Parts: sequence; structure tokens; C-alpha cells
Amino acid sequence: MNCYQCGCTLSQHDFCTNCGADVALYKRIIYISNRFYNDGLERAGVRDLTGAITSLRQSLKFNKNNVEARNLLGLVYFETGEVVAALSEWVISKNLRPKKNIADDYISMIQTNQNRLDAINQTIKKYNQALTYCNQDSLDLAVIQLKKVLSLNPKFIRAHQLLALLYINNEEWERAKRELTKCLEIDTNNTATLRYLKEVDEMLLPEEGVKNSSKKQKASNQVIKYQSGNETIIQPANMKESRGVTSLLNLGIGLAIGIAIAFFLILPARIQSARANIDEELRKVSEQSDAKTATIDELQQQLGELQAQKETLEQDMTAYMGTDDGNLQSVESLMKAASAYLTEPSDVTTVADYLDQIEQERSEEGEQENTEAFDSLYNNLLALVGPQLAESYDEEGHAAFWAANYEEAIPKLTKAYQYDPTNGQALYDLANSYYRMGDAQTAKGIYQQVIELFPNTEKADKSENFLAEIERAEE
Amino acid sequence: MINFEEELKKFHPSLEVEDAEEAIYNQDLTDMADLMVKIVKESKKTGE
Repeated sequence: MNCYQCGCTLSQHDFCTNCGADVALYKRIIYISNRFYNDGLERAGVRDLTGAITSLRQSLKFNKNNVEARNLLGLVYFETGEVVAALSEWVISKNLRPKKNIADDYISMIQTNQNRLDAINQTIKKYNQALTYCNQDSLDLAVIQLKKVLSLNPKFIRAHQLLALLYINNEEWERAKRELTKCLEIDTNNTATLRYLKEVDEMLLPEEGVKNSSKKQKASNQVIKYQSGNETIIQPANMKESRGVTSLLNLGIGLAIGIAIAFFLILPARIQSARANIDEELRKVSEQSDAKTATIDELQQQLGELQAQKETLEQDMTAYMGTDDGNLQSVESLMKAASAYLTEPSDVTTVADYLDQIEQERSEEGEQENTEAFDSLYNNLLALVGPQLAESYDEEGHAAFWAANYEEAIPKLTKAYQYDPTNGQALYDLANSYYRMGDAQTAKGIYQQVIELFPNTEKADKSENFLAEIERAEE
Repeated sequence: MINFEEELKKFHPSLEVEDAEEAIYNQDLTDMADLMVKIVKESKKTGE
């Protein structure tokens, strides 16, 4: 300590040993300044930065040359984000003690890094802009601006507090509390922060405020008290947040979020998975169904083929077996004809009846394939009885013809010609019978047969005449 | 209950880096020691 008048180093006496000036009061002032510095240092040590600033400013009010106090004040300002204030203190400190001053290091730390200095300046400008927005009632813009500020300088207490105030004004209590908690982490005993936090806590848990009022009184006893200079410092023993309802509330919110996640994220995924499984099953069933359908089609096709084969076989069978008067009847008739001939060879009429039946069946069923034995027997019988039958039918037919009984003559003459194809007269008279009955068309065909089969005969000439007559009649 | 308008008035614009020099010059650095010396000097003048 130096004399304020001559600058000589002072001794333990209350006067200057060099100039004799009374330094008792001066020494007391310096002591008080130092005591405030010590107090500020202690407060800064427990992060009571607001208290530290107050003490250090008091210290400097008593002694502006207390460089340690000024440097510490600058450091505390810097910690609270007040960079320009910190720089100011360090610059003054450096002017007061140009050499061996730690403020020099602090200033260099900031000034040598231009980017950091620019960032600091931007932070301050944005904060001021946010404040302007607040005053212009553009609170949303202010919130955005303050968030930018805090992203650049997270320790800027005033920005945290202003943002918390804006959240409180917007009744976003949780966010406000979050900001204020950050403030308390930087500066544990900031009056404005504590006041805002009290308000926020009351709004968040109004029922606990009443319940805890008695507890708070009890808790007030659980504080750390210590004397610092002329002031009594009261500091809470613990800073734990209130639990109970808060825990339940958080649990409820967590459950709600969990259910929401399950509903919006897990459930749709499950539904999607179930749908995929169903689609897969459907695809398999569809494939099986297609395979079965193909099998059914194939079987139906086989069934159709078999049905066709069956029908063909049935037709063949019918062809062989006969339906009403088929081959079997033909065979039976032939057998009867043979039997009749063997029994009475002269009874050609009976044989002729059976042979007629065979012919009739042939004409009704169409030309069918018969066994060789059948044909042989039939032809033999026909050869044996044919001339007699032809002669008999010729006689009967011509008798009926000459009697003008053409209806009777026609079948007889037909048989006569059938059993004796050389009997041209029978054929010619058959044509005449038809012609005279008025069936000119049938007669015309038979006349043509006569002309073709028996040319150059009188019957042929006459047939031509009749044909010409019929054609003229048609014209 | 916090009054937003009233609380807002407590927030002041922060000094920018460009304004630091002016702020330093304008800072009143008078302390108690200065006042005491001044008072002592004045009392001496009055005594003479």
C-alpha cells in the first residue's frame, strides 16, 4: 500500500513515514475494498455471480486501483455473457497496471481470435435486436432471435432470462423453467432468475405450492448461513427439484407418448405385416385353386373323351346288337327262312316272306356289314328260291296289272324284278303301273332304268315315248 | 404475478464492441479514496 500523497510505501503506522500524511482513513478504505474483493471471490467460487458482481463493484467503489478485484469482475462479467463489460474492466485494469497483469492475457485471448470477436459482436447485436422486437410486440421474432443468440453464446444470462420471460408471457411454463434452470446453472443466486422460477413453479404445480409452503418453512431451516463481511449469506442446503406430483405427471406423459408411439408407429406396422401374411395366404390358396381347377378341367376333358368313346362303343354295339329289328332280327329271319326252306322247299312264299323281312330291315337300318356266313347263306337261299319267287311275283304282278289293280301290281312287280333283274318286262310294267296311277315322277325314273338297262328293245322304245309324253305334260 | 411490460423495462440493450471504447472513457472511476483525498485537501485549504 502506497501513500496517496507521496506514493511512498506505508508502514503499520497511521501516518506516512515519508510525508507525514494521515493515512488511517485511507488504510481503512483500502481494507474495506479488499474485504469486498474477498467476498466477491468467495461468491464467485460458489457461482453466486450476481453476488460476486455486487461485492466486486463495491470493492472498486472503495478502491478503483484494486486490479485483482477489477480483473475478477471482468471474469465474472465474461462468465455471464457480458463480454463488452468484461473487456472494459480488463482494459481499465491494464491501464492501471500495464505490466504483470493477467487482464492482458484475457484481452489477448479475445482479440487474437477475430472470429470469436465477431461472434461476440453478432451475439450482442442479435440480443439488442431481440429486445427491440420485444418492445415492438414482435415476440415470436424475439424468441427466434434469442434462440440464435443462445446458440452462439449459451452463457448469456440476460438472453436466457429474456427468453424465459417471453415463454412466461406465452404461458409456456416448461420451456421457461428450462431456460431458468440453465440460468441457475451459470449463476445460482440471480434474483431475477429466482423470481421468475418461483412464478413458473407456482404455475406448473399450483397445488404443491400450498402443500409445500409448510415444508418450505422447514426447509428454510435447512440452509447454509455464513457471515461475509457485514452481510449474512443464506444459501439453500440443497437445490433438488420437487418430486411427487411431478414424477407422476412425467410418468403419465411418458405413458401417453408410449401409447401414441404404439398407435402411430407400431400398430400400422403390425397391420401391414398382417395384411402381407393374409395376401401371402390368399396367393397360396389361389395357386392351389388354380391347380385344382386345371385338374378338374383335365378330368372333365378326359370324361368328355370317355363319354365320346362310350357313345362310339354304344353306337358300335347298337350296330352289332341292333336296337329294334337289327341284325339279330335279320339273322333270325334268315334262320327262319332257311328253316322254312329245309322243311318245305316248295313253300317259297314263306321263305319269300322271311327274305322280305330281311330286305325290309336292311332298307330301314341302312346297308350294314354282315358276317360272311350270313351273306353266303342269304345269297344261297336267294339263288335257290329266287327264280321261283321271281316267277311267282311276275305272274301275280302282271295279273294285277292287267286287271288295272296297280296298287297290288306295283309291289309284286317290284319283287319280280328284285328277284330276277333280267325281267325287263316286269320293270317296264312297274313303270306303267306308276304312270297309270298318276305318279309320273317315279314312272319317269323307272322308264329311264328300262332305257338304260334294256337298250334297243321294244320296251326301251316305248319307255322313250312315255318319257317324251311325261316331259311334254310337265312343260 | 409477473408483469411482462414492467419486467421488460428492466432489460437494457447490451453494449456492442464498437461502443466499448466510449464506455470506458465515460466510466466514472472516482472512488472513496479519491473522495477522501479531495476532502483532506479541501480541509487543508480551509485550515490555511
